[in-house]
Amino acid sequence: MKRRVSLGAARALTVCYLLLMTAAVVWPGAVPASRIHPFVLGLPFSFFWPALWVALSAPVLYLLDRVERRHRGR
Amino acid sequence: MQRWITIAGIIGLYLAATLVIGLLAGRRASHSVAGYVAADRSFGLLVMYFVTGATVFSSFAFLGGPGWAYSRGAAAFYILSYGALGMAPFYWMGPRAAALGRRHGFVTQAQLLRGRFPSRGLSALVALMSLVAFVPYVTIQIRGAGIVIEAVTDGHVPLWLGALVAYGIVIVYVLASGAMAVGWTNTFQGIFMVIIAWTLGLYLPHHLYGGVGAMFERIASVRPELLTPPGLTAAGEPWSWGAYSTFILVSAVGLMMWPHLFMKAFTARDDDTLRRTVILFPTFQLFLIPVFLIGFAGVLFPSSPGDPDFILPFMILRTHLPVLVVGLFCAGALSASMSTGDALLHAAASVVVEDGIGPFRTLSDGIQRALMRMVVIGVGAFAYVAALDDSSSLVQLLATAYGIISQLAPPIVAAMYWRRATTVGVVAGLVTGWATAGFFYLHPALRPFGMHEGVLGLLVHVPVLVGVSLATERQAPEHVEAFVGSLHDA
Repeated sequence: MKRRVSLGAARALTVCYLLLMTAAVVWPGAVPASRIHPFVLGLPFSFFWPALWVALSAPVLYLLDRVERRHRGR
Repeated sequence: MQRWITIAGIIGLYLAATLVIGLLAGRRASHSVAGYVAADRSFGLLVMYFVTGATVFSSFAFLGGPGWAYSRGAAAFYILSYGALGMAPFYWMGPRAAALGRRHGFVTQAQLLRGRFPSRGLSALVALMSLVAFVPYVTIQIRGAGIVIEAVTDGHVPLWLGALVAYGIVIVYVLASGAMAVGWTNTFQGIFMVIIAWTLGLYLPHHLYGGVGAMFERIASVRPELLTPPGLTAAGEPWSWGAYSTFILVSAVGLMMWPHLFMKAFTARDDDTLRRTVILFPTFQLFLIPVFLIGFAGVLFPSSPGDPDFILPFMILRTHLPVLVVGLFCAGALSASMSTGDALLHAAASVVVEDGIGPFRTLSDGIQRALMRMVVIGVGAFAYVAALDDSSSLVQLLATAYGIISQLAPPIVAAMYWRRATTVGVVAGLVTGWATAGFFYLHPALRPFGMHEGVLGLLVHVPVLVGVSLATERQAPEHVEAFVGSLHDA
C-alpha cells in the first residue's frame, strides 16, 4: 500500500502535517490544549502537547524521505 | 581540596579538550576559502546532527530555557514549539541551496541572493543587517559563559576572566581551523549538552520532589498559572496569545535564516546528509523537555536568585550535588554557549568579507582568509567588552534580532522558487520589512495584539516583494532557470 504513495501525495501530506502542527501550537489551536490535566508521562497536558507534535514530526519526515528516496532512485 | 578548585579543574579539562579537538580538526581542512568557510563541504551525518543541534541551542536555551520555565512558566513552551517547524522546510531548501552552492561556488546566503538578484547593494545590506543581529547574540553567549564560571567557582573566577578564557579558546580555534573546528568541537559539545540536560532534568525533580509527575502536581496546586500557555510575562503578568503565537511564528520563519545555520547547507558532504539532519533534528530538540524540567524544579525552591537566568547554577549549587556533577553541568553550559558563539563569530567573518567587501573589491584567497580572521577578532573583542557591561539593553537588542533575521526568508524563498521575483522587488521588500519591524520595535505599544515586530514586518514585506516584482520587468528566463529550474547536477 505504502509503496504506491506518489511523491506529490507524500509532499502534500508532509506539508499538511506541518500546517496542522503550526495551527496546533499557536492561537487559536493551542487554546483547547492549554490545560493542566490530564497528565501524560508525568507532564501537564499543555507541556505534553507541543512535545508530541515535535516528536511526531521525525517519523513524518522519515516517511517522506522514504518516498522521496525511491523517487530519486529512478 | 576546596570544592571550587575541583570544579575549576573540571572546567579546565573540558576547555583543554575543546581546544585540542578544535586545533586537530583544522589539520584536515584545505587552505582555501571553501575550506575555511564551508569545511570543503565534507561533513557527514554525525557531525551535521550535533553541529546543527548544538548551534541552534545556545546559552539562551541552556540558561534562558530554565529561566523562562522558572519565572514565566508555560511561556517557555514557545521555545519547544518552533524548532521542528523552522527546520522541516530545509528538507527541500537545504539540498537546493547546496546544489546551487556547488554549481556557482556560493559559500554564503547573500552570495546565493546576489547570484539570482545581481545587486552589490543588496549583498552589502544583507551583510550589514546580519552583523547587527549577530553582535548582541555573540555578546549574550560570552556573558552566559562568564556567568556560569563565576557562579560555580563562588566568584573566585570572576566573569571577566571566565569569559576571556572561554572565548579566547573559541577565537584561537576559529582562527586556526575555521568551519572544520566549529564542526568537530560542536559535535563534542552537542553530545555533552544532551547528556547533561537529560541527566539533570530527570535527576533534579526526582531528588527534590520524588518524580516529574509529583513535581507538577505540587506546582499545579500552588502556582497553576505557570502551567497553561501563554504563561506569564517577565513582570509576572499574564502573557498574550498574540505575543506567544507570533514569537513561535517569527522564530520558525527566522530559525534557518540565521546565516550561521543557513551556511551549514554548504558544509554538508551530500544532500542525503542534509536531509537526514533535518529528519533527526526533532530528536535533538526534545532535550528542551529536561531543560524546562530543571526550571520548573526551581519554582517551589525555598529561596530564589535575583535574576531568573541564574536559576540553573543557583539550584545546582544548593542541592548538594556531587562536585563532579557540578563541574560537568558547567561544562554543559559552556558547551551551549561556545558551540553557538563559535559559529556566530565564524559566520560574521564570512558574511562581512564575502558579502560586505567581496562584491566591491577583488581579493585573493589568502587576503580573504586574513580579513576573516581580523573580523573574528574584532567582533569577538567588541562583544566581549559589551558582555562586561551589566545592562539590559542587550537583551532588548537580542529580542529584535529575530525581527531582522526573519526578513531574510522571503528573498531566499523567492530566489529559489519564484520565477517572477525581481531584484527591485526583493530590495523593496527587504527595506520595507526592516523598516516596519524597526518601527514596531521602537513603538511596542502600537503593535496589534502584542504581535512580534518581525511578523508585522513580514506582513508588509511579502506583499511589497510580490507587488513590486510583478510591476517591474521580469528577469531573463535563462538566468532564472539556473536557480528555479530542476537542479540535476552530478
